[in-house]
Amino acid sequence: MIEASHLSRTYTRGDGTPVTALRDVSLAIAPGEFVVIRGASGSGKSSLLNILGCLDTPTSGSYRLGGENVSALSDNERSHVRSKRIGFVFQNFNLLPRATALENVELPTLYTGAAPDHARARQLLAQVGLDGRADHFATELSGGEQQRVAIARALMNDPPLLLADEPTGNLDSAAGESVMQLLTSLQREGRTIVLVTHDEHVASFAEREIVIRDGVVASDTRRRERVQA
Amino acid sequence: MSGLRVIGAAWRSLTRSKLRTFFMMLGVAVGVAALTALASVGEATRQETLRQFKRMLGTFDTLTIRPGAGSTRGMPSVSTVEPSLKFADGPAIAEGVPGVLRVAQVQQTFDLDVSYRDESVVPLVLGVSSNWADIRDEAVASGSHLTEEDERALARVAVIGADVASVLFKGEDPLGKVIRIADVPFQVKGVMATRGAGPGGASLDNMLVIPVTTASKRLFNRDYLSTLVVQLRNEGDSDRVADDVRALLRERHRIIPPAEDDFTVSSPRATLAQIQQVGSTLSKIVTGVAAIATLIGGAVIMSLMLIGVSERRREIGVRRAVGATRADILAQFLAEATLISALGGAVGIVIGAGGATVGALLQQLPPAYMWSMIGGAVALSLAVGIVFGLYPAWKAANVDPIEALRS
Repeated sequence: MIEASHLSRTYTRGDGTPVTALRDVSLAIAPGEFVVIRGASGSGKSSLLNILGCLDTPTSGSYRLGGENVSALSDNERSHVRSKRIGFVFQNFNLLPRATALENVELPTLYTGAAPDHARARQLLAQVGLDGRADHFATELSGGEQQRVAIARALMNDPPLLLADEPTGNLDSAAGESVMQLLTSLQREGRTIVLVTHDEHVASFAEREIVIRDGVVASDTRRRERVQA
Repeated sequence: MSGLRVIGAAWRSLTRSKLRTFFMMLGVAVGVAALTALASVGEATRQETLRQFKRMLGTFDTLTIRPGAGSTRGMPSVSTVEPSLKFADGPAIAEGVPGVLRVAQVQQTFDLDVSYRDESVVPLVLGVSSNWADIRDEAVASGSHLTEEDERALARVAVIGADVASVLFKGEDPLGKVIRIADVPFQVKGVMATRGAGPGGASLDNMLVIPVTTASKRLFNRDYLSTLVVQLRNEGDSDRVADDVRALLRERHRIIPPAEDDFTVSSPRATLAQIQQVGSTLSKIVTGVAAIATLIGGAVIMSLMLIGVSERRREIGVRRAVGATRADILAQFLAEATLISALGGAVGIVIGAGGATVGALLQQLPPAYMWSMIGGAVALSLAVGIVFGLYPAWKAANVDPIEALRS
């Protein structure tokens, strides 16, 4: 699914001095894996997630997603890759507040050129346990509900890869637990899940843990055997 | 992303922040309303001026020649004008200048008492040649016009205006009755059709006409004219004919440069153009002000859009993350700006047309809508949306999704 080799990412600060966020990171993630990336803040894990999510491009190195070299793509082409092949789940949910749950779930279809598939959006809401909430505005939902809407949104275009950045960071433990159960069930469907977290308990849901420190991979350990689909 | 869904998304976004949408529409609506109303009121006034002119002058295919060098103020009268324009100048112009169909001779005064029994009025008294009514397209309501025979015979006959008829005769049939003009008896042979009001609103019906020959020999005792009305064969010829008439009259009046003309040739078209020139200068200023109002509306759209872009950074980030390209974001924000501006323009046209109707009714004019200006207002509001929406939309399209999503 993911083959990253020798990824480096250097930013230029306001005063012109370069800052290296990632240094020669190589990793491979197989389809259907549930991988957690851990690291202190400033370790470079967010930079890595941005590159894996095709929101950013590496300064050097190559990133292949599903066999295609996406590190050389244009901004437009990366938009299309995100549209079709990557679903994002954010710490702060990032729903459109003035839109309903259903409209939020359907948002990704706006950029595929396909007609909005209301039935699929409703089915996804049912899958995340929110079939009664389709017409509620995002602001009327609890944090846990918002995050489940966000997960349904990430699934709308049926991407093989889900990237989650501290998905339980803003949730109480019960809501966090149900979100993690949901992600685990999605892995069982065969989706590849890459999750960034500080939380040891959240990390325990993953089968593999990559630790980033000072822009390099400090460790890459298998926590348990792969859950077979 | 299809055009319809872009507009749909823009519509949803606008309806969800109604107050901001209202303020963004306001400027454009005010500008377009002002533009529409002012242009339409101006058009109604212009059309009315044209109608009044047409009523006063009868036709546009004429030139008017008056004695004096053009700076005479007020109504020329036989007693006040220079005696430079002679009867013989009329036939000389008719025969000597190509393109002239015929020439009417006019003597006028407005200081003679006209009486019938105990009633008296002081109308405009015109001594006219028999072709005058025809040139001016004047109609009689009853009786008949003056004839060549009346002119030749120095007949004491008069054709009276509607106001004179109503004041002197009070419903009695004036035909055949004898009125006294400065104590000289004249028989009424016709009553003119109502001519309405001229520019300035004064009645054009407080007048009567008598043969110019009679006026000259029996009433005024003057052998010069207050006006020559030259009818053209072809309206488009008026500049050339005016030049020829000028040359002929200078020759006949033995005027040698550097002496100035002792007469003035004017064409109703030129006079009207002058009046409309004044009108159009005013309307240009007004239009400019309204256009500036619309531009200010555009600036309001731009600033509120820019605020909107910074408030909606996260939304932009989310849209980028789920697959929106920069062009998609640009299209979305541009659609919002254009839609809002178009809606503002539509509201403005409705208000403006309403205002124009009210304005016209207050002036007691038939309302006129200047469709070209309304079309222009629509185009302007769309253009304002696009032009002033472009920069905010460009800013939106260039929001860095990573930055936007981090917050």
